[in-house]
This record gives sequence, C-alpha cells and structure tokens, in this order.
Amino acid sequence: MNLDYNDEQNMLREQIQKFCESEYDFYKREEIVKSSNDFDENVWNLFAEQGWLSMPFSEQSGGLGFGPIELSILFEEFGKALVIEPYLSTVVLSGTLLDKSTFSEKNDLIEKICTGSIHISLAYAEVDNGYDYLNPSTTLDSKFVMNGTKTLVLNGSNAEKIIVTCTNDDTLNIVVLDANTPGVSINSFSTVDGQSCSEISFENVKLDKSNIIAIGNDAENLLKETINLATLCICAEAVGCMESCYHKTLEYTKGREQFGQPISGFQVLQHRMVDMFIESELAKSLLIKAMLEVNNRSDEMYKHVSALKSYVGKSGKLSAKEAVQLHGGMGVSEEMMIGHYLKKMISIDALFGNADYHLKTFS
Amino acid sequence: MDINFSKEDIAFRDEVRDWLANDYPKHVKEKTDAGITISKEDLIDFHKALSNKGWMGYNWPVEYGGTGWSASKLYIFNKELGLAGCPPILPFGVGMVGPVIYTFGNDEQKERFLPDILNFNTWWCQGYSEPGSGSDLASLKTKAVLRNDLDEDYYVVNGSKTWTTLAQNADWIFCLVRTDNSGIKQEGISFLLIDMKSPGIEVKPIITIDGDHEVNSVFFTDVKVPAKNLIGEEGKGWTYAKFLLAHERFGIAGVGASMRQLNRLKEIISKLDNSDLQKKVNELEVALSAIEITELRLLSALENGGHPGAESSILKIKGTEMQQALSELFVEASGEYALMYPGPHGYENNDKPAGPDYAAEGLSGFLNLRKTSIYGGSNEIQKNILSKFVLGV
Repeated sequence: MNLDYNDEQNMLREQIQKFCESEYDFYKREEIVKSSNDFDENVWNLFAEQGWLSMPFSEQSGGLGFGPIELSILFEEFGKALVIEPYLSTVVLSGTLLDKSTFSEKNDLIEKICTGSIHISLAYAEVDNGYDYLNPSTTLDSKFVMNGTKTLVLNGSNAEKIIVTCTNDDTLNIVVLDANTPGVSINSFSTVDGQSCSEISFENVKLDKSNIIAIGNDAENLLKETINLATLCICAEAVGCMESCYHKTLEYTKGREQFGQPISGFQVLQHRMVDMFIESELAKSLLIKAMLEVNNRSDEMYKHVSALKSYVGKSGKLSAKEAVQLHGGMGVSEEMMIGHYLKKMISIDALFGNADYHLKTFS
Repeated sequence: MDINFSKEDIAFRDEVRDWLANDYPKHVKEKTDAGITISKEDLIDFHKALSNKGWMGYNWPVEYGGTGWSASKLYIFNKELGLAGCPPILPFGVGMVGPVIYTFGNDEQKERFLPDILNFNTWWCQGYSEPGSGSDLASLKTKAVLRNDLDEDYYVVNGSKTWTTLAQNADWIFCLVRTDNSGIKQEGISFLLIDMKSPGIEVKPIITIDGDHEVNSVFFTDVKVPAKNLIGEEGKGWTYAKFLLAHERFGIAGVGASMRQLNRLKEIISKLDNSDLQKKVNELEVALSAIEITELRLLSALENGGHPGAESSILKIKGTEMQQALSELFVEASGEYALMYPGPHGYENNDKPAGPDYAAEGLSGFLNLRKTSIYGGSNEIQKNILSKFVLGV
C-alpha cells in the first residue's frame, strides 16, 4: 500500500500550481469572466503548450495517456484557483467520450482538441429529465432528423461541434454535428460560477449515418462512463476549493485583528476552522478512493464516485459557507475571492446529480 | 498509488479470520452476536484465547514477547476483530501500562509485570482522571509522599481517582500522582504502580446512564506503595503519560466495529421501507468510508517512513462521532420500541423483550457510547490539539 502521489504526479501538480500563480490570479480570472468569450484564447493555447489538453487521451489518439489520477490533480488545482476555462466540456466530456468511441473521425477531432484549435460541447441534459441522462426526449427519426432541446450545455457558445444524446426508436444514440448546422439555435447565458452555458434547440436538423458516434448499449456505456469521469473531475475541483477555503480563512483570521488580537485566537473560530480542515481531509480521502476505483475501472467505480459526489456536495458547501462567515463582511464582497468558492460549490453540487441524488444512487 | 494490502498482509488477514472462526470463544461470540453484555469471566476467556495464540502483545516489540507487527498488520487485526464483533481488547495493561514499563521501567519491573500482562494474569486499570482533573489532567492532586521506615522506601498515597474503568475487576492500577508541588503543574507528577489489594484503597461504583457499572471512583487513604513501584524517575510522570496517550494510535477510529454496526443497520433498514432512514444510513456509509480511507492514509504514511501528526486527532473525533451516530440510528430504527428500557443485563424485569431485538441493544449502545467523545481527551480537546498543531494558532 502506498497512497502517496508519485514524483511525476507531484511534478504535474507543481507545474499547474505555478501556472495558476503566475498566469491565473483572481484579477485575471475576473477579467476573463467579464469578457464576452468566457474563456481566454491565450490561456487555452498555454494549456495546449503544456500538454494539458492532451492529458487524458490514449497514446494511439495522440494523447499523453494519463488517467483519472492526473485529471484529479489538474482539477484540484483548478479548483484552488477557480479556473473557468472550458476544460471540462471540451477535453473531459467531449474528448474522452470521443476517445473511447469507435467514431471514424475521432482521431482528427482529438488532435484538434490537443492543439487547442477546437471547442466541442456535450449536450446531455434536458429540462424535464432531471439527472436521468440515459433517456433523452430529443428524438432522431428513421430518416436521421433530430428534434428536441438541450439545456445547460457547458461552453455551448464557443463550441464548433456539439455532441448530442437523443433517442431513436427507444434506443439511445449519440451524434455529433456542426454547431452551425441548419435548424440548430443556441441561446447562451452565464452560470453562477462564471462559466458560460447554453440552451440549444434542434428543429428538424437533418443528419446522416456519418454523424453517429454510438448506438444502444455502446452509447449508454460511453455516456455513463464519461459523465462518471466528469463527475470525478468536478469533485476533485471541489476538494481543491475546500482546501483553499480552509487555508484562506486561516490566513485571513490570523491577520484580522478585533478586540486587540487576531481573531484566530478565539477558540470558537479555531474549532470551526478545525472542522473545515477535517472536512477537507475526509473529502480528500474519498477522492483518493474514487479516483483509484475509476483508474482500475472496477465494478464499484460508480458507487465510489457517487459517495464522493454526495460528500463534497454537502461538506463542500458547508466549508464555503463557513469561509464566508469567518471572513465577515469581506466574505460577501464580490471583489474578494472567498465568496466565489461558495458559488463554485453551488455549481458543482448542481452538476451531474446533487448530493441527495448521489446519496440515493449510492446504495 | 496503490490502496491494496500486500500478499503477506492478506495472508495475515486470513489467519486472523481463521482464528476468529475457530478459536474465538464460542460462548463469548454467542453473547456479542445477540447484543448481550458479557461477564468478567467472558472477557477473561477472550483475552486468554488471544494470549494462547500469542497475539496479546499485538502492539509490543518481539523483544518483550510481543508480535512485532507492522502498522498494517495492526490495522488489519483491529479491523477484523471489530468486524467480528469482539469486545474491545482491554487497553489498560497491554495497550497502556505495558509499553510504559518496557520503555521506562527497570529490568526488575519488566520481569515482574510484563509476562502477567501478556498472559492476562493481571487485570490493570488506569488512575488518571480525578474529580477535579478531567480534560485538564495535569492539575491532578492525588498526593504521594516518600517515606522511609526500617530501611524500606515507600510512598504514602492520598487522594482519589475517578471514571476508573472496570476497577472493580482490577488487580493493579497505574496512577499519576503528585510528588512535588513547587513547579509548574506538569512537573512534579510521578507514575506509580499500585496493588489494588493494598489497605486503604476503596472502590465505589459509578452507574452510568445506560444503567451499567463500568466505571468507578477509587479512593486512596494512607496507601503504602513500595518505592520500587515507581516507574522511571520521580517527577517525570507527565512525559510517560503523554507517551502512553500517543502510543494507542491505532484502532482509535474503531472502523471495523463501526462497519459491523453499519452492516447490521443496513440489513434492518432495508426491511423497513423507510426512505428517511435509508438516506441516513447511506450518509453514514459514505462518512465511514471517508474515515476508513483517512486511516489508510495514516497507515500508508507510517509504512512509507512518514510521521503522522494530526491524523490521529481527526480519527478520534470522526471515529467516535460515527460510533455515536450509528447507535443513534439503531434507536431511530426501533421507532416506538426505543421506549423499552432494557437495563444493563437485558430485560431483567420483563419475561420477554417487546419489539425487535435490536431496540434494546440500540438504546444501551446509544447511552453507553456517549462516553466516547468525552474520554481519551474529549473531542473538544482534540480540536484544541488540531488548532495548535495544524492551524498553528
């Protein structure tokens, strides 16, 4: 047994940390959030140069062949710096789905993802279907005409291609199409944590066989596995957020003086920060377990990701709320970073099934 | 990263399981499975069975007759015994005073006391807390004064100890006593071994809210203790006391025992068709998994040459909260039958218990386990420790 990260993994973490410190401080992030793109071309190109956009893809597809452990490291660090670049939608949700599929054009698309020259979004959610992604109401008929509406498509406004889940004669299909295909309309908005997402409707969109990525069981497995990996990633992000909430709150209370002493001297605040530390460590433990299960593709990988997701959904929000409270008025100031962790935790809990949902699916 | 135990460890786990299946005394197993409080004789039989297997010195080096187990073997041993529902191994001899004796005692003391601990020929109890010294242990007042009569050196001990677990069964007590009042309170404390048969010792039961007689007050009136029963140096008792507290690092979270309780709860709740209870038990299962992996992280750090620090405080806090939450859910799952008060030895005044059999056990457990967040350094003290060593405030 050895639950330490290896040297290569530690180096990767350091590399990401250094990048976030020098190229992605909170002010830079706020500029990006306020920009019309909701992401930064230069930052995205730097991601490509560092090899991060190639990380999870198999070596046959031109990737680095890294697994869920490395992805978790990346997302933990992204969580600490509150990175909003559309890594999840393009690389994890779309890229790894393509990579695991038998789609004929996947190599070309993955190569473009690796070089940072394309954005692709996965449209998996619908308004009336809750967290049941396997039975979409969007239909594909026998003549390959698609109708329906997808919601909360992350980074939909920047996507040149969209991967869509739909039902053809009670069978799940996954298709990919150009965003500018006739009949596709995209309505975009910002999320609470500064990302962009879209509602996309498909009205008599004419496709053909060449658009199809997967059908039936293959499609179901592909979607389940992809969503599971993406869930792991945002949980890692939550773990990073929790650690930062704790560290930043501790730092703040050590510097903030009231009643003639740093407020970190008050036992009531100390114990609350200890609780934040403990929750952060316990969440880290569940992350380790879940990422190892996913890495081994064990039968229990879904169960352990659900355990993690339900835990960070609850304790992550708790930590972020405590961080706001212990920062006093500063905690609710938009210009301070700390309140943005709370927004991130809200967003993470809402994505891919909230705490209650995963607590149910866990058993 | 690798979360799996080595082949050697897995083989060891199987050996422990074999022992539990074949040599763990059947009459004890029957009672613990049924949730019946076991007797003094049962406890002795259990410990003797461990001794016979050579596992009593589970945390001792081979040099002193211990197993010399690695941290991972120790973890597996604790977890498997917990999963099987064994009573906790009484920590006072083998877990506490034993390591103090072989680390700080002299050769004569080692020869005199260690074999009897390993063979469970002596039952030890712990004389730490006093009526006025709970979490603030170093403020203790029980006094020992060195005298000499007819060329014999001895201490005269006066004072009282409290919350002394199973003192009514004990042959010996190890005590922190004050031998000097002149310096700061941590100085002037000495570590003394006292024969419970000494004249002047009186044990009075304290009945806890579960109705059980587990803890006691122990009074010392002019108790004569040979000076050769002093461990190490006079005035260094606080150092030995801290060593002792740090020594029982493993099994503190009680993961194995909690897993057993969780599995039983899952079975009970699955038959009740109650989504609220189902949600609660799921929550506990997730939290217990988090505790388990946290303990494995500590284990991994130890096995790979690291020095664990704060983790044992995390495990104390979360492990005891888990034990309490599980017992509370037993009570909730009992519904109206939680009204039935069983008393410490089952339904003494009733011919037959009313309601499901887990109701009685659940309530006793719930009441009894309140102690876990109070003893061993209360959970608030653990948070103070974490504030100091992790937060740095």
